[in-house]
Amino acid sequence: MPDTRMDELIRLDEGLISRRIFFDPEIYRAELENVFSRCWLYLAHESEIPNPGDYTTNYMGEDPVLIWRGMDGEIRAFLNSCRHRGMRVCRTDAGNAHQFACPFHGWTYGNNGELKTVPNFDDGYFGDLCKENWGLYPVSRLSSYGGFIFGNWDASAESLDDYLGNLRWYLDIMIERSIGGIEVIPGQQRYSVDGNWKIASENFVGDSYHLTHSHGSCYGLPVRMLNPANSITFGRNKMTYYDIALDNGHGFTQFILTGERIEVERALAKEMGSEVVEYVEECYARLVNLSQSQADVYALPFGNVFPNFSINDFSALRPIGLYLWTPRGPGQIEVWQWGATDRDAPQAVKDIARIDFARGQATAGIFGPDDTENFEQVTQSTAGAVGQRLDFNYQLNMGGDAVEGFSDVPGHISNYISEENQRRFYQRYANLMDGGQGARHAHEKPRLAANG
Amino acid sequence: MTSPDLQHRVEQFLYREVRMLAEGHYEEWLDLFTEDTRYLMPIRETTATREESERGEEFLPHVDDDKDFMRARVQRLRHRLAHSEQPPSRLRYFITNIEVEETEDGEKNDLDVRCNLLVYQSRLERTEKIFVGRREDLLRPEKNSFLIVSRTVVLDQSLLPRSITIFF
Repeated sequence: MPDTRMDELIRLDEGLISRRIFFDPEIYRAELENVFSRCWLYLAHESEIPNPGDYTTNYMGEDPVLIWRGMDGEIRAFLNSCRHRGMRVCRTDAGNAHQFACPFHGWTYGNNGELKTVPNFDDGYFGDLCKENWGLYPVSRLSSYGGFIFGNWDASAESLDDYLGNLRWYLDIMIERSIGGIEVIPGQQRYSVDGNWKIASENFVGDSYHLTHSHGSCYGLPVRMLNPANSITFGRNKMTYYDIALDNGHGFTQFILTGERIEVERALAKEMGSEVVEYVEECYARLVNLSQSQADVYALPFGNVFPNFSINDFSALRPIGLYLWTPRGPGQIEVWQWGATDRDAPQAVKDIARIDFARGQATAGIFGPDDTENFEQVTQSTAGAVGQRLDFNYQLNMGGDAVEGFSDVPGHISNYISEENQRRFYQRYANLMDGGQGARHAHEKPRLAANG
Repeated sequence: MTSPDLQHRVEQFLYREVRMLAEGHYEEWLDLFTEDTRYLMPIRETTATREESERGEEFLPHVDDDKDFMRARVQRLRHRLAHSEQPPSRLRYFITNIEVEETEDGEKNDLDVRCNLLVYQSRLERTEKIFVGRREDLLRPEKNSFLIVSRTVVLDQSLLPRSITIFF
């Protein structure tokens, strides 16, 4: 199908991407195969299912999955669908169960996925049905990093460690800074967005360009009273931020590389009492123990794990935000989002975490809705015959030099206002979609197209 | 047993209140809340039992506001860059099944008031969303009207139809 060739649609040498990739149903079907069935996808955090029998549910692309801890303590994940006629076997969001009986005909599965009982096994199947072959269909690969559980349908996929690549250096900051380990606050916010999933992912992967304008209504608000460490306070401090593009299309932004973040954190901790001051020092000491460069970075603050799992982490005093942009067709996203804290954070920090999360990048927060308004209107722009002929412009800071002087810090470092992270996100996307053919690559000296 | 007069006054108060929301008179609406008010919207989950599905204090909420943050929200909505509500959505509020109950607290004469809620949001051209749930208010008689001491909005949807840019 020559009209869906990625090198025609994604022309990174010109910084141009066709609007069609955000709308075309054929491209969407290909994404479910080539992206969502081949990449490591975020499923859950281990802290959500601490006990044998605990389960939670999620989606991998459009496939429902059940993440279940067996009586042996091992975490497994399965397609949430009876092997007989496909009925969903688990129809609650989360809980504890030693088995699920399919509501349709009663095939019953244990929490290690095995098919235990089949009604009319003797008189209907004459005892010949091989139950071993008809257990719940397992997610091919399952692996955790710092308690974050990822699954992959591709049995031959690279390991999760290799997939995360140099992003691990940064995730280690968030994970190691959490003294008792990361603990997800129970419950999740869920809402629909009439938009394409890639617009949400690329917004997190490195779009610091939108902050001033899209979130301009927030910067003057008197919201310091809840948590001294909220991001608006950070915004008032004059610091130099960087974007960092990482392996395999991952990217994070708003990094401080010269250590000022801990100075701000210390000042804010003082407002929250001596226990919090000590806590921040302990967090920092743990990072210094990891490396001084990681201690200087201190927080992530926001970014995207390819393809659709976004994280924000601004401070040890604020909740970590976890965001999953699950596709529901080319024009709809089902957003699931969680807050998390360090299990051993001081009570003063934990007490305000759930409220702090809800007020910020959240369903009804002051940041989230202005983003989703963008996601929806951007996606709608790709529906028209003329709109589909046009490209989006990804030329910001194209050809700008990589930032030098931070040799201990992995990844491609750009100036803060850049679309390098987004270009690399789509490079990775194009590679997957085209079976390695990929996008038209950037030249040494990229040229800017005269029009889009 | 609530007197017909009290029932009538509470209903009229709630009708006026949701009209303020539909018409975007948010500053006036804020004045209906006590200074120590709490405005809550829990998340909903699909659980084995009805009781569990309304998630409580230990769970992530959609909204948990004090009056200061409610003011901040209104201030934000008035900013020229708050584009998720500019241009403003067209809103229609429906409240029914209004139940009024006098609380045990005899001194302040506070009232437990429950009602069902349906909010229709029409936005720009084709965006049409409906939120459905119930509200539980604690109302305090004040002069010839009432003040809202606390409000809990329990929506029935576990997956909300869109992000929230309005009040309930």
